[in-house]
Amino acid sequence: MLGRVAPGVCGQAVAVVNHQQNRNMATLKAISIRLKSVKNIQKITQSMKMVSAAKYTRAERELKAARPYGEGAVQFYERAEVAAPEDDKKELYIAMTSDRGLCGAVHTGVSKVIRNRLSEPGAENIKVICVGDKSRGILQRLYGKHIISVANEIGRLPPTFQDAAKLAAAVLTSGYEFASGKIIYNKFKSVVSYAQSDLPLYSQKAVESAPKLAIYDSLDADVIQSYMEFSLASMLFYAMKEGACSEQSSRMTAMDNASKNAGEMIDKLTLTFNRTRQAVITRELIEIISGAAALD
Amino acid sequence: MSAWRQVGLNYINYSNIAAKVLRRSLKPELRAEAMKRDESHVRITPWADGRPAHLKQAAAKIKVCFE
Repeated sequence: MLGRVAPGVCGQAVAVVNHQQNRNMATLKAISIRLKSVKNIQKITQSMKMVSAAKYTRAERELKAARPYGEGAVQFYERAEVAAPEDDKKELYIAMTSDRGLCGAVHTGVSKVIRNRLSEPGAENIKVICVGDKSRGILQRLYGKHIISVANEIGRLPPTFQDAAKLAAAVLTSGYEFASGKIIYNKFKSVVSYAQSDLPLYSQKAVESAPKLAIYDSLDADVIQSYMEFSLASMLFYAMKEGACSEQSSRMTAMDNASKNAGEMIDKLTLTFNRTRQAVITRELIEIISGAAALD
Repeated sequence: MSAWRQVGLNYINYSNIAAKVLRRSLKPELRAEAMKRDESHVRITPWADGRPAHLKQAAAKIKVCFE
C-alpha cells in the first residue's frame, strides 16, 4: 500500500516490512486453522470413546455368558491330559484380531506372539489362520507363506456363535491336518488391562491317545469326533468374545488418551495464538506511534 | 455312524441346523431377539503362497455347509 504511494528507493524496505507483517498475519491464521482442526480431532476421539464405551459394556456382558464355552473345552483337555504327539510336528496357529484399528496394541500383541514363534526354528511346520485384517496386515509381508486362511468382516458387529461356527468349518475343511495348535487371543482382565493368552488345539488322534481319557465315560471315535468339532467352534467363539471385549476396552483407553493429548495441544495452541495476536497488536501500535512521532 | 455324518455334515452343521429350527419355533416375541444371533458376516478366504488362492472352490464348500 505504502509501496504504491512511494515507489523507488524505499520500496524494497517497505516490501520487507509488509512481508513480515503478512507472515505474522499468516501465522496467526495458520494457528487458528490448526486450532480448529485439533478441536475437531478431539471431538472425534471423544465420540469414538463414547461409542466404544457403549460397545464395551455390551461386550463384557456377552463375554460372561461365553466364558463357560471356552473354559469347559479347556478343562476337558486338562483333565484328560491331552498332549501334542511327539512324532507329528504340524502346528496350527489362529490369530484372533479384528479389522479395526485405533485401539492400542491389541492387534500387534497377538501378531507379535505368532511372529516370535515363526522366527524360531521349526517354523516350517507351522501354518497360521489370520482372523481379522489387522493380523493379516502385520504377518502378510514376512510370513505370508504360512498363512492358509484369512477371515475378515470382524469387529464391526459383536461376534456370534455363527461366526465361530463358520470359522471352525473353515479350519476343518482347510485340508491342513494339524497335530496340535493354539488360538492366540487377548484375554480380558479389567477395563484397563488385557494380556495375550492361548487356547490349545489338538487333533483327534492326540485326544484318542491321551493317557487319562478313561475318566470320561462312553466315548467312542464318533463321539470324540463330534466333540472335537464342537469344542473347536466353542473355543473360537470364546476367544472371539475375549478379543472383542479387550479391543473395545483398549480402544476406550486409547481414545481417552487421544482426547487428553488433543486437549493439551489445544491449550498450548491457544496460548501461542493469544501471544501472537498480542505481539501483532503491539507492533502495529509501535508503528503507528513512531509514525506519528516522525511527523512531529 | 449317525445319519447326518453319512450325508457329509459335521457336528457343527448338524447343531447349527438344530439351533436354527429351535430359533424358528420360538414364540414371536422371543424369536426376534434369537434371530439376531443367527446372523454371521465373517468372510473367509483361503490363502496359499502369501496371497488369496482357489477362492471359489473353498468358499463354495463353506457356503454349502451353511445353507
